[in-house]
Amino acid sequence: MLDLLTTLDAWLIAPLTDYAFMRRALVGGLALSLAAPPLGVFLMLRGMSLVGDAMAHAVLPGVALGFVLAGFSLPAMSLGGLVAGLLVAGLAGSVSRMTGHREDSAMASFYLISLALGVMLVSLRGSSVDLTHVLFGSILAIDDTALWLIASVTSATLLVLALIFRVLVVECLDPLFLRGQGIRGGLVHGVFLGLMVLNLTAGFQTLGTLMAVGLMMLPATTARFWSQRLEGLIGLAIVIAMLSSAGGLLLSYHLGLPSGPCIILIAGTIYLVSALCGRHGSLLARLRRRAAPLEKHEDTCTSS
Amino acid sequence: MSRLTLEDLTLAQGGRTVLEHISGTFEDGAITALVGANGAGKSTLIQAIMGLLSPLSGQVHCSMPKERRAWLPQQLALDLTFPMSVEELMLTGRWPTHGTFKRYGPDDYRHMHGVMQRLGLSGLAHRPLGELSGGQRQRALLGRTLMQEAELLLLDEPFANVDTHTVELLCGTLRDIANAGATVIVVLHDMEQLARLADCVMLLAGGHAQWVEPETLLERHHAPARRHAHAQAPFISLNLPDVPPCSTY
Repeated sequence: MLDLLTTLDAWLIAPLTDYAFMRRALVGGLALSLAAPPLGVFLMLRGMSLVGDAMAHAVLPGVALGFVLAGFSLPAMSLGGLVAGLLVAGLAGSVSRMTGHREDSAMASFYLISLALGVMLVSLRGSSVDLTHVLFGSILAIDDTALWLIASVTSATLLVLALIFRVLVVECLDPLFLRGQGIRGGLVHGVFLGLMVLNLTAGFQTLGTLMAVGLMMLPATTARFWSQRLEGLIGLAIVIAMLSSAGGLLLSYHLGLPSGPCIILIAGTIYLVSALCGRHGSLLARLRRRAAPLEKHEDTCTSS
Repeated sequence: MSRLTLEDLTLAQGGRTVLEHISGTFEDGAITALVGANGAGKSTLIQAIMGLLSPLSGQVHCSMPKERRAWLPQQLALDLTFPMSVEELMLTGRWPTHGTFKRYGPDDYRHMHGVMQRLGLSGLAHRPLGELSGGQRQRALLGRTLMQEAELLLLDEPFANVDTHTVELLCGTLRDIANAGATVIVVLHDMEQLARLADCVMLLAGGHAQWVEPETLLERHHAPARRHAHAQAPFISLNLPDVPPCSTY
């Protein structure tokens, strides 16, 4: 018994009590897990699951520019990422409205341009080690400034999300109804994309620009297998994201792996397990459901 | 009295003029059927009345506030995979009074339960939208417009893919809404439904509109013979230069 406790302590508690950087990383990860998954749920419900990925790529040149201008400075890189992300989202939205083309094609075009610019900027000035940091994150780099940034972004996101929640729901459900009420859905959409960019920028320190979107989307898509209610989806996504963050950080500590991929792989494992045996729409649920209507049919036949 | 008037309206959709010089008055408390072949411009006209399409020339005079105009389009923009129950959908109809922030109070719930009972939705309050049948969905959507306390109702083929029981229910409810003073405009193809529901008919053909009495239209198209021909696709010929105009115009 004591052995078990010691092992558990060594695996779960000791890394946190021993190292300040692990504590900071955990707090940062948990804070990110609070704000990003609800956004992911709405992205998924709007059929925009891949837009998060596009935006994560779009953030890259800004981060790279910040890095080129100010070195490995978090505020500069975050600000750059934020500006680049908002610019791509804004440009894609404008082009799609102007031309009548679908927004995803405009977004794909702009994020690719943005990504190429980013990679070029990083390779012009930095070494490949730096690029890995930007792409996959490094928990060692989370200092108090980073924590403040993450905490502020999380607070702001939750606040804005609370303010626009109903309008966002109605816009997802029936954009035409909202238009009829004289509300411009574009504005809500813009604010929502802004929140998304903000969270991706906040996440890049722990997870890297490309992995940050994983903490947004995977918990959301996983929750779909367990709940059919919006509150349930959001709540579950947050819990899954928190578990993945904590688990991923510990895994990365013990095995000496980069934190971003570890966190996302844990979330990915939970997704796969849910796809196999979740309550709604999973493989197991489908097998079970296939049998149910027949039984019901027999009942009605015998009773009538 | 009338709170909706079209004045020499010309409408274009995607660079193509669809309707020209449309004029007319929609009386309060009357149900107007909007009739015309596919592509005649029914949806375009509805969009203009809703204020979602600005006319090339002419004007829509509508004294009803925007949030009291309800539109049930034929091609639903409604996302049926969205995790929402019938009850929650109906509560979104409270938008005009509640907007983004106001909490739904006991009055709203009472009103909603009344509407649900009237539309036979009481047992479905917590049913997810994706699990509704076509008829149930249409009833839920009409329930939302009732929650909205709409003064102008625009319905685009509300009876398509809907069971007869629901058609009865919807017709009755629409009549009640009209009797309460609302202006109701319904796009219809089926002559039987037109005979039952419409007080007045606006025919759209060749980019122009013509107002006719429902009886005139029905006589012309031998409606009694058609009443039993449910299986037959509804068909309306649109060359009607000699039809006498509707008295409400």
